[in-house]
Amino acid sequence: MSGGDIKLVGFLCNWCSYAGADMAGTSRMAQPAEMRIVRLPCTGRVNPLLVLKAFQEGADGVLVSGCHPGDCHYNEGNYYAHRRLELLSRMMAVYGIEPERFRYTWISASEGARWAETVTGFTETIRPLGRLNLAGGGARDDDHHQGPAAGSASPAEKR
Amino acid sequence: MNGIVDTIKNVLKETDLVLGWTTDPVTGVATPARFHDEKEAEQAVFDSTCAHNLAVHLPRLKDSRVGIVAKGCDARSVIELIIEHEVQREQLAVIGVGCGSLLDVKKIWRRYGYGVAIKDRDDSLLIGGEQVNRDEFIQRKCHGCLEADPDIYDVIAGEVTGEIPTDTVRPHPLHDMFVSLTPAERRSFWREQFSRCIRCYACREVCPMCFCRDVCIMQTQIPRWAGGAVDAKQSEMIQLIRVNHLAGRCTGCGECERACPVGIPLMLLLDEQNHAIEEMFAYGAGASLKARPPLLVFDVNKDIWGKG
Amino acid sequence: MRIGVFVCQCGTNIAATVSTERVASAAMALRDVVHAESIQYTCSDPGQRTVIAAAHKYALDRVVIAACSPRMHETTFQRTMAQAGINPFMMEMVNIREHCSWIHSDMEVATEKAIDLVSMGVAKVRGQTPLFSSHVPVVSEVLIIGGGVAGIQAALDIADAGMPVTLVERGPTIGGNMARLDKTFPTLDCSSCILTPRMVEVKHHENIRLMVNSEVEQVRGYIGNFEVDIRKKATCVDEEKCTGCQICEQKCPSEAPDEFNAGVGETKAISIAFPQAVPLVASLRKEYCRLYIKGKCGICKKVCPADAVDYEQEDELHTEKFGAIVVATGYELFDWRQAYPHYGGGLYPDVITSIQYERMLSASGPTGGHIQRPSDGAEPKEIVFLSCVGSRDESIGRPLCCKVGCMYIAKQAILTREHIPDSRTYVFYMDVRAGGKGYDEFYRRAQKEAGAVYLRGRVGKIYPRGGKLVVMGADTLVGENVEVEADLVVLATGIDAAAGAGSLAQRLNIPYDQYGFLSESHPKLRPVETTTGGIFLAGACQGPKDIPETVAQASAAAAKVIVLLSHDELETSPMIAEVNHMRCIGCFKCREVCPYHAIEEQGLRDGRRVAVVIESLCQGCGLCTVACPPSVISLRGYTDNQLIEEVTAVLR
Repeated sequence: MSGGDIKLVGFLCNWCSYAGADMAGTSRMAQPAEMRIVRLPCTGRVNPLLVLKAFQEGADGVLVSGCHPGDCHYNEGNYYAHRRLELLSRMMAVYGIEPERFRYTWISASEGARWAETVTGFTETIRPLGRLNLAGGGARDDDHHQGPAAGSASPAEKR
Repeated sequence: MNGIVDTIKNVLKETDLVLGWTTDPVTGVATPARFHDEKEAEQAVFDSTCAHNLAVHLPRLKDSRVGIVAKGCDARSVIELIIEHEVQREQLAVIGVGCGSLLDVKKIWRRYGYGVAIKDRDDSLLIGGEQVNRDEFIQRKCHGCLEADPDIYDVIAGEVTGEIPTDTVRPHPLHDMFVSLTPAERRSFWREQFSRCIRCYACREVCPMCFCRDVCIMQTQIPRWAGGAVDAKQSEMIQLIRVNHLAGRCTGCGECERACPVGIPLMLLLDEQNHAIEEMFAYGAGASLKARPPLLVFDVNKDIWGKG
Repeated sequence: MRIGVFVCQCGTNIAATVSTERVASAAMALRDVVHAESIQYTCSDPGQRTVIAAAHKYALDRVVIAACSPRMHETTFQRTMAQAGINPFMMEMVNIREHCSWIHSDMEVATEKAIDLVSMGVAKVRGQTPLFSSHVPVVSEVLIIGGGVAGIQAALDIADAGMPVTLVERGPTIGGNMARLDKTFPTLDCSSCILTPRMVEVKHHENIRLMVNSEVEQVRGYIGNFEVDIRKKATCVDEEKCTGCQICEQKCPSEAPDEFNAGVGETKAISIAFPQAVPLVASLRKEYCRLYIKGKCGICKKVCPADAVDYEQEDELHTEKFGAIVVATGYELFDWRQAYPHYGGGLYPDVITSIQYERMLSASGPTGGHIQRPSDGAEPKEIVFLSCVGSRDESIGRPLCCKVGCMYIAKQAILTREHIPDSRTYVFYMDVRAGGKGYDEFYRRAQKEAGAVYLRGRVGKIYPRGGKLVVMGADTLVGENVEVEADLVVLATGIDAAAGAGSLAQRLNIPYDQYGFLSESHPKLRPVETTTGGIFLAGACQGPKDIPETVAQASAAAAKVIVLLSHDELETSPMIAEVNHMRCIGCFKCREVCPYHAIEEQGLRDGRRVAVVIESLCQGCGLCTVACPPSVISLRGYTDNQLIEEVTAVLR
């Protein structure tokens, strides 16, 4: 992972925020490099468990971003998401995760600058907090290992 | 006014079976029982050792007409199950019982020996003939008791308890310690707690609202929310799954924590979530038959928590 | 599993900050990746052929393409997959351009990030299964929002193709801004002579239903199947009965500002915007009407020979279904007064805007085609034009070019000489932008034939002196300050998107910029499409345009609509929800949250009641997957395990 030690994951809806992040790119708006974006159809697809799973697997911050209330491509998705995500954000401290490490926001397809600002602000919030190390306690789940294959086998060998 | 035996006998005229308690011949404390006829019903009891929430059986008895003896806390589970269409009200006869807090039998046994004689009468608790401070031995879950008397019933057995004075409601015994911890300290706290978990799933098995049963995602590979290892990380994940699944549904009956064989304070998590739900939606699961689970609806005008 | 990874250089767009070779070699180390290479332009024909050849050579069954945004080229590469004999959905795009190379400058950092993103894509595509599309019926009716020349052109083209069109206009007449123009550049043909026949054609076309005084309130649904709420506002006049005789307007005692004439002259509270209005129907503006202000009048109702006036009329709400939507909401002129206090900020009556001047030039305008000074009605002799008022002016935060100002100043200078032969015109300009066909010739004609004096420089101040206006500017070509004493100053004001365009865009869920101009899907290749399928753009709502460009774009949008609706059915995305009914517990929480009522209850042979997704209704939002307690609903293409793998891949 580049751009410092922390790892950030963004869950973005395809229709607004992902397009907003695209617009920030098209406009060449410089941003910190810690963020890794996962594209989803809608914030309504964001299972709170997915956010918690990300923290467990080593994320130091998770950002969820979707369409503004009323602008959801699926009309209602972000309203349900709003309730789920707000509850999740209130539970963060209970789980032992600094509440600042989780954020949800609404960014439209035209708000490229706002996306760049949000990523920058979020990254700057997490940097001083450092690594979360939620996964620290337990060993990694054995049957979860699907990482790099040993060495760099040539295609021929793999065939 | 009828005693528990007569009430169950009466209810059995209309139902296939009644879920209640009988006395365990070895220990002398109450244990859950199913009564199918008048003869069996003769063995029914209700006392302060009837800690179990019998509503857990209801989703598995969908095809029967069922009677159930329910304390105030159990009745909230019954209501929530009806709201979620897991139980049909018409199929159900609720025998309400008043409850004046339950005894933590295991704690007594640990202190005074297994099977010690327990006599609990009107503010005096005799253990092995010795008078003790009753307050010391009540169930943890009764500390946060919201309702001593059931909100839903067809018939009442015995006497109701009446309103609980609000000043008797105490938070979880570990609450004050827990809230004083920083997030990092809480991480260590939970890691330590979950390192004891043996993944017996007792928390799930006793929970009336955990009715996914055989397809519970704590154990599935599709999807693989939690890995199969028995370690603090995976155990924490399965509790995060439970807590999330119980959002807006947990009635706070405290059975998960009571059943946990390694003493993980699960209600710390659920109490906090219930509190957040109450704050956000003015909602308490199992409080009203008319309520709609808060995460299955939204309100454009009221859902304004100022984020985004 | 045999995965191929293709890392696009996008010329230097990616390769300048991401080492695509390193990304490709890192990808080779990922599980199940049997081939990885870097390609200069993957989306180009040779690039796609490289992918297809590699797919055959290495017997690939899954592909990851690390390139631009999937919103740009996902469908392109899905087609490539089909050509390579791989199911199109077995391809995952990884965005290393918009989300990486374009926002980072450090090659090391950007390359590492790109490697991460590729490993996420590989992890996700490993969990992908082949998907197959189904088909849904398409509503053949088209909604066009805005009745200016763009909306009119699009409506006529689509209607001529045999498809029913509903043209919604929020004002009382169609015609838009073009109807207010006297002549058009560079041919000087009369604007209304070109436009009015088209307006009448709209009115009489059997496939067009015209709804004026109407606005789009809510839009639901999706491409091929939109459901739109249209509010038809009460105007106190029965459109069916009104004959357009204008007796009401003559007798009406309440004066009202004349918006059509840009405030030159006044009209009445009940009026018809202009004599060629379509429909030729009066409408009443309650905010100026004596009956509504003072509670006493009712003259128009008394004098109306057709009994068309109805004070009790109420708004009507229509809900209609459409297969496609064309947005043609046009532009409005920038309100210069706040931004330019040094031009008087609107206090000097003889500093007017070019549209006000245009209305004076019009023979059917409020002055009957006579140019008059607003202050005293005298014929001006010395007339100064200022270009770029609210355009190309960084000092007020408006760097955009209005695109038409240079040409309409030239036009107005030429027309001024025709109207007042002994007049003298001065033009303060920044640059003259005359790039169209015949445009430069036209601008030179203004100088040579009409004698317009062009001075290059921005005007610093305008102030009144002895019944005249002193225009102080600089001639930057000569390097001298210039002072002109003018009888009349005409400001060529900039262009903004029409008021409310932004909020309409939000209702349509399409992006827009800071001026309210709506964003096209791709500036070069998808200029009339929006990022929302089935919604198209025509005319100045997308950005400043002149008439020929507007009409061309409107016809382009019409062509896109006709293509879309030429099929009875539309292929739907197979990326929808699916219930594993063997594991469904029948709690139906999915049904409670589904916005499309796409979940139904079904009995199984073993007696269990389970949830089933109605494929034609499901839009793939995934709300149900989260509501499902045992997670047995999966959203195809975004399953829980795919997302878990995608996330854990990068955190490992």
